[in-house]
Amino acid sequence: MKTAIALEDVSKKYNGVVALKGASFAVSKGEVFGIVGPSGAGKSTILRIMDLLEAPTKGRLLIDGQYVAQTDARAETVRRNIGMVLQKPVVLNRSVANNLGYSLMIRGWDEHRIAEVVDAELKRLGLHGRRRTNARNLSGGEMQRLCFARATVHAPSMLLLDEFAANLDPANVSLLENQVQEYMREDGNRTVVIVTHNMFQAKRMCTRIALIWDGEIVEIADRKKFFENPEDARTAAFVSGESVY
Amino acid sequence: MKGIWIAFATVIAAGIVVGGTVSYALMTRDEEVKSIRLATTTSTYDSGLLDYILPVFEDEHNCDVDVIAVGSGQAIELGKNGDVDVLLVHSPAAEKDFVATGYGESRTLVMYNNFVIVGPSEDPLVTENAKNASDAFQRIYDNGTVGMAKFVSRADNSGTHSKELTIWSTLGYSKTQVAAFSSSWYIQSGQGMGAVLDMCEELDAYTLSDDATYYQRMDENIIPHLNMTYSGDSALFNQYSVIPVNSTMHKHVNHTLALAFKEWLVSEAGQDLIASYEKYGHQLFFPNATPQTVSVASSVTSEMMEVDRSVTRVSSPRAIFPWMDVLPFHPVR
Amino acid sequence: MVSTGNELLDVTLLSLYVSGMATILGSAIGIPLGALIGLKEFGGKGAVKTLTYTLYGFPPVLSGLVVYYMFSRAGPLGDLGILFTPTAMIIAETFLVIPLVTGITITSVVEVDRSIKDTVKALGASPSQSIITVMREAWVGLVMACMIGFGRVIAEVGAAYLVGGNIDGETRVLTTAIMLETRMGHFEWAMSLGIVLLSVALMVFLFLRLLQEREML
Repeated sequence: MKTAIALEDVSKKYNGVVALKGASFAVSKGEVFGIVGPSGAGKSTILRIMDLLEAPTKGRLLIDGQYVAQTDARAETVRRNIGMVLQKPVVLNRSVANNLGYSLMIRGWDEHRIAEVVDAELKRLGLHGRRRTNARNLSGGEMQRLCFARATVHAPSMLLLDEFAANLDPANVSLLENQVQEYMREDGNRTVVIVTHNMFQAKRMCTRIALIWDGEIVEIADRKKFFENPEDARTAAFVSGESVY
Repeated sequence: MKGIWIAFATVIAAGIVVGGTVSYALMTRDEEVKSIRLATTTSTYDSGLLDYILPVFEDEHNCDVDVIAVGSGQAIELGKNGDVDVLLVHSPAAEKDFVATGYGESRTLVMYNNFVIVGPSEDPLVTENAKNASDAFQRIYDNGTVGMAKFVSRADNSGTHSKELTIWSTLGYSKTQVAAFSSSWYIQSGQGMGAVLDMCEELDAYTLSDDATYYQRMDENIIPHLNMTYSGDSALFNQYSVIPVNSTMHKHVNHTLALAFKEWLVSEAGQDLIASYEKYGHQLFFPNATPQTVSVASSVTSEMMEVDRSVTRVSSPRAIFPWMDVLPFHPVR
Repeated sequence: MVSTGNELLDVTLLSLYVSGMATILGSAIGIPLGALIGLKEFGGKGAVKTLTYTLYGFPPVLSGLVVYYMFSRAGPLGDLGILFTPTAMIIAETFLVIPLVTGITITSVVEVDRSIKDTVKALGASPSQSIITVMREAWVGLVMACMIGFGRVIAEVGAAYLVGGNIDGETRVLTTAIMLETRMGHFEWAMSLGIVLLSVALMVFLFLRLLQEREML
């Protein structure tokens, strides 16, 4: 299978404090890759580096077969082909429709096409009736579903999810997970990377999972092996302590 | 919806800009009608004198006189920089310097008004009975230094302030010595005349004021606890002069009109008009441009006898014969 | 000067014109400047911000003096002959608006949440698109900046008097008229003019509030 994104010995320091040391792994097209680990382990840092929001202190990033750095002229084009959803839903101070259309607007789509796509998408989300409402007035779950739709409406080939369903009620969690599944079904060449501390979610959704501990990747394995027969003692402890999460 | 709002804001902004530009354009066209800028002291403007006499001149010469009413010091500075065409001020020493250094063309006496000493109506120092202005000041000083009286000074380099300093100098106090008077009784306010009178009302203090501002404040009942406690000394006469800005220093000044304005002020018509202005039941300004009007004022003061030797413009008979201002007749007019 | 034949109306309109133009010009300079300072990373940024905030206290009379020396006949730009015209007043007032608008813009754009800046970037916005979006998120603050700028100049008298000269029918604005009437002892008339000034300010602020309150949908 073709590699969608690969990290080669990537390290990151913030003011001398190590957040990530020597991470190397590759994610293939068609995979839903999970990154799990306790909070503060460096999960989000990996994701920010993958989205070119942050430059690694050391190491390289390979996307679609080409090395790319945050400062490259190409970085913006590359980033435009990646969607990202954060834990906290972030909506702009404008209507639901214009929030969704924002991704398309900045890509220079013409107004009529934006309106069409946004209309269809909002109907699918069940938010069409509230398209003129300021997005800030939506509930947490609705907001996050809107953010998800906004990150995927332009059909990026990779999706990065950072604790995207934490703090939501089960109904909204399942709605969002369905949206991920749908996103993957639409095109077999797509890739999803999920950062989570929820073991159940990782088990439900991911094909392959990495455990990160103190800024270091300690184990990468297929779902079955990761949960049933881990090699590292820390993985075993983390998996068995899943009830905590 | 957004479009409408942005359009609305744009229209408002554009309206202000366009409206402003048009009004400015019209104003500039207005200025092509002849106009001169007159820098004067607040006393002539605020008393209403200029509003009374200027329309007559403006009609006669079909022009505008733009009045900028500021302190004497600032007025003279505006003249030095060539930002105005003519001055009507009352600060003799500074005026002479202004003409001597070539900024002013000539200094011509126009009129005087009176300074008076104002104090609490019960007049605890009985300055009323003072022999002269200096004596009154001496009494204020004596009582002030022992905490029995207060004096509020303009302390702003205005004509009134320099008159005050002149009186202190007759008692032997230099400008520096006056500035060093204890603030426990000598208050250096840096304020305009009206504000100083208001302060005196609050502080039961004495001050030197021009009579016009005093009458006006009395008339408006703003200073019910103050009284004119001494007046009449010729040393308290307040001489106003007109000085066209020197056109050789500043080419752009409207010299012709400035000169016409000066001639008109000292003409019989101008002088009569000044004499006829009354406010608060008093004549406020006494014309003394010519010997005739001096006799009307019925007293010849040192200020009036003052000879203008700093005149530089040769074309004027007054420039050649500066002493003729004090003659009992006018050989050339 | 366009005359409506009504002296009070003339004075009021000139006040609006001078303050309005100064606010527009000052904001046109201050908002981009503030966005630049607030959103760009560069050396000495802290010093630039401190300087901006210090200039909040720039005395109006000093601004007037600077403009006076610039446009005085004896000054470098004297030949333009704009001293004692509304134009000179607008220039002096604009200097007073710029630091206020710049400073409040800095604060407003800095206060837009980091997560919004990240999200906008992650959604694929180019640097200029990011800046425009962040500015729109800071909308309330930006309108506030204009309000405070307008509030400062409509109420300002020192610079207006110095470079305008308070010439009747030419450069007399509400504040210089109030000062004149006070000096002349017409306290009640001065108070009435003050009420006119506040009413005018109220109308302008109502309009700006409306602009601020509406959600940019």
